[in-house]
Amino acid sequence: MINLKDIRETARDMLAKGEARAVIGYRRGSRGMLAEPAFLTKPEEADELVWDPTCFHNLSLYLVHDRKHLAHAGKNSGGAPVAIIAKGCDARSIVVLMQEHYFKREDVYIIGVSCEGTGVVDERKLATHLNGVQASNAAFDGDDFVFTTAEGEKRIPAREVMADRCLECRSPYPKEHNLVFGEDKTGRQLEAPFAALDRFEAQGAGERWENWARHFDRCIRCFACRSVCPMCYCDECVVDSITFPVTTETTADEKASRIRWIERSAARSENITYLMTRAMHLAGRCTDCGECDRACPVNVPIRLLNNKMEKEAREQFGFEPGASIGGPSLVASFLDKDPGEFIR
Amino acid sequence: MSDQQPYEPKIVAFLCKWCSSAGSDLAGVSRIQYPANATPITVPCTGAVSPMYIMSAFNKGADGVLVSGCHIGDCHYLEGNYLARRKMYLIMKLLEFIGVEQNRFRMSWVSAAEGAKFAQVITDFVGDLRPLGPQDKLKRAEIK
Repeated sequence: MINLKDIRETARDMLAKGEARAVIGYRRGSRGMLAEPAFLTKPEEADELVWDPTCFHNLSLYLVHDRKHLAHAGKNSGGAPVAIIAKGCDARSIVVLMQEHYFKREDVYIIGVSCEGTGVVDERKLATHLNGVQASNAAFDGDDFVFTTAEGEKRIPAREVMADRCLECRSPYPKEHNLVFGEDKTGRQLEAPFAALDRFEAQGAGERWENWARHFDRCIRCFACRSVCPMCYCDECVVDSITFPVTTETTADEKASRIRWIERSAARSENITYLMTRAMHLAGRCTDCGECDRACPVNVPIRLLNNKMEKEAREQFGFEPGASIGGPSLVASFLDKDPGEFIR
Repeated sequence: MSDQQPYEPKIVAFLCKWCSSAGSDLAGVSRIQYPANATPITVPCTGAVSPMYIMSAFNKGADGVLVSGCHIGDCHYLEGNYLARRKMYLIMKLLEFIGVEQNRFRMSWVSAAEGAKFAQVITDFVGDLRPLGPQDKLKRAEIK
């Protein structure tokens, strides 16, 4: 069981001693029980921090933002690292970012939090469960989540309202950390890895297409999945022509001759190309934090695409994303025994 | 002639400069007969083929996409085709996953000496694509 006081104490201490330039954590949001990301720079703010089953955001995104802001302002970090609260999946994202030299190990202080026997809630599952009743608070309690609602306290077994990714999580413990709270319950897997994916894949090709066609039709190309993803840090995005830099020196000719691989319109064919390309770009990098799925306003199961890549990488190439900072990248490495039977 | 042309699959073939391109050339100079459905695009190496090329080819109306390069161990850049093998495996699986017919995407190793093999690869591919009919799943609507 994680004691919130310990987390607050650590944050306060680090900020007071100047050991961290900022602490990225969670605080109570203004929208009911849900937590929201918080950036603390003063020791007295430490009491705002919370840790509960609604802390689903992958905060490593803000390490990327921080890096971009610094680069934009032409500043350097001034030595002190940024401290960040990271769950198992978030810590793996941070490892991938370091693997890709996005920042150095000493630039970040990882305050790990173990998800222990549970994980975070899936808002959609919870809404179904609570039957329209609003909850104002959520808390961990062993294998259960306890919600405070207008109708009193409601205890729900965590596995009934947990996000799919948490049920299937293979490492709910942040291996890479400077400091960690909570017990290592690796192997507590409540469902087999890729269970949701396997259920989807059990359908025939025709049914899979029918499903995906519906999903792809729905996509509105708001790029929320890209914005929320810590791995989508490219300044120029290949699928989105408005991210290509234009300066006063850019000639009309140059602009016209840029390759536009896909159109920005939210048509099915373009949405497929976008989401498939994104899945390929995340192959071996996605640590299954599930943020794309959660952020999608039209419920496209984006996680399944990334999951498919993760599963193939694991089964065929023995690759685990975010396993070690010095490890190889999936598509820039190979093994002699990689599958090749499909090639004529 | 009837108004309705019989369906001919359009293949976009990404051929590596060092092997498969030369292989296709050999098929030509050897006067081997094979279907003319493939549009060859020469690339420096199969390792340079981005999955985006494949998605883009389908998006622009290809009925099938072929990626062909040097046999394993023969890459001019030593390891380009090893890298391609991984990437192409992943995009193939992803296409399969969303329900695109398996036979729409193919990869082959054709060396500069294998003109006959190149002709065979194309012949087989066209044969497998014909029963599938036009590809309209990934195709942009306004492109006829």
